[in-house]
Amino acid sequence: MTKKLESVSSEDLMAKTAGGDELAFEILVRRHETSVLNLIYRYIGDRTKARDLAQETFVRVWRAADRYQPKAKFTTWIYSITANLCLNELRLAKGKKFIPLETEGEGEKESSETHSDASQSPEDLLLAEERGRQVSEALQSLPDSQRMALILKRYENLSYAEIAKVMECSVSAVESLLVRAKKNLQEKLILFER
Amino acid sequence: MKCRQVQNKLSAFQDGELRPEEHEKVSKHLKSCMACRERYAEMEKVWQALGYFKEIPPEPEFYGQLVKKINESPEPRSPAGFQWVFQFFSAPWVTSSLLIAGILMGTFFGNMLVKSDLISFQQNQAAHSQAAVEVFSLKAFDPIPPGTLGDRYMRMASSGEEGRR
Repeated sequence: MTKKLESVSSEDLMAKTAGGDELAFEILVRRHETSVLNLIYRYIGDRTKARDLAQETFVRVWRAADRYQPKAKFTTWIYSITANLCLNELRLAKGKKFIPLETEGEGEKESSETHSDASQSPEDLLLAEERGRQVSEALQSLPDSQRMALILKRYENLSYAEIAKVMECSVSAVESLLVRAKKNLQEKLILFER
Repeated sequence: MKCRQVQNKLSAFQDGELRPEEHEKVSKHLKSCMACRERYAEMEKVWQALGYFKEIPPEPEFYGQLVKKINESPEPRSPAGFQWVFQFFSAPWVTSSLLIAGILMGTFFGNMLVKSDLISFQQNQAAHSQAAVEVFSLKAFDPIPPGTLGDRYMRMASSGEEGRR
């Protein structure tokens, strides 16, 4: 039964979830948990919060399953929910006037354990981790909209039209956001060359 | 294509969002223009560097924790039986029809109420003073009925004018 459902589209799995099919919901979650988690993580830069918000995203998916309209792609729909949660989280964090970046012990240690490559020397691994941290900082320095557009394009490979639907703006606005985001990143990441 | 035009399109070119003919023109320009090619190479370097930000895996117990969260959550799902209501009213033709029906019904009932007010007013005319009846019954461009308040006023006004002459 599980194997049969695994070949079903996300849109159809949502329809089954609306009918109360928990197995369909589980497959849906497992299919999209990584992308949702990492969209949030790259956007807010906090691993623990990213996991909480990813859970919250799927809670909302479950609750809203019977209102889901299959004319929209499922990924566009779930990314809209995710983007809204991220924005709300940032608003709350700015309200507290303290936005913590991950500390060295917490972030780098986990990523090196997860992504260690036997062919890479320890120096290469350290360098890759350092660059990852610099990229993360550079992304966090971008304005919210630019950051979201860039993450959706670079890491989720959404089209401009899809990003526009997620962010509820025009395609030309998405293009403009990406031009500015890339320019800002170029200025921040120029240190890689030094 | 000129360099400035190409540079304005480099981001969309990189993202694969140009129309085929535009993509072809930019591609052709990049082959022949070193300045634009270098600029594009810088953009590609940044794009590749973003790959250093590795993704994190979800925890193995992610789904289990999610189920627990859903079960603990006090907010129930909306009953499946009401889904058809949302779907029905979300259709554009339904919304337009309801709007038009509302306007027509409002006009109909409004006319009925206005007519009923006139009739009741006319029936109550006898209860109003003669002067009030004259004023309300007066139509603007009809000749002023002789012997009425309006007629006396007009006579006074015209005699006043004659005096001034």
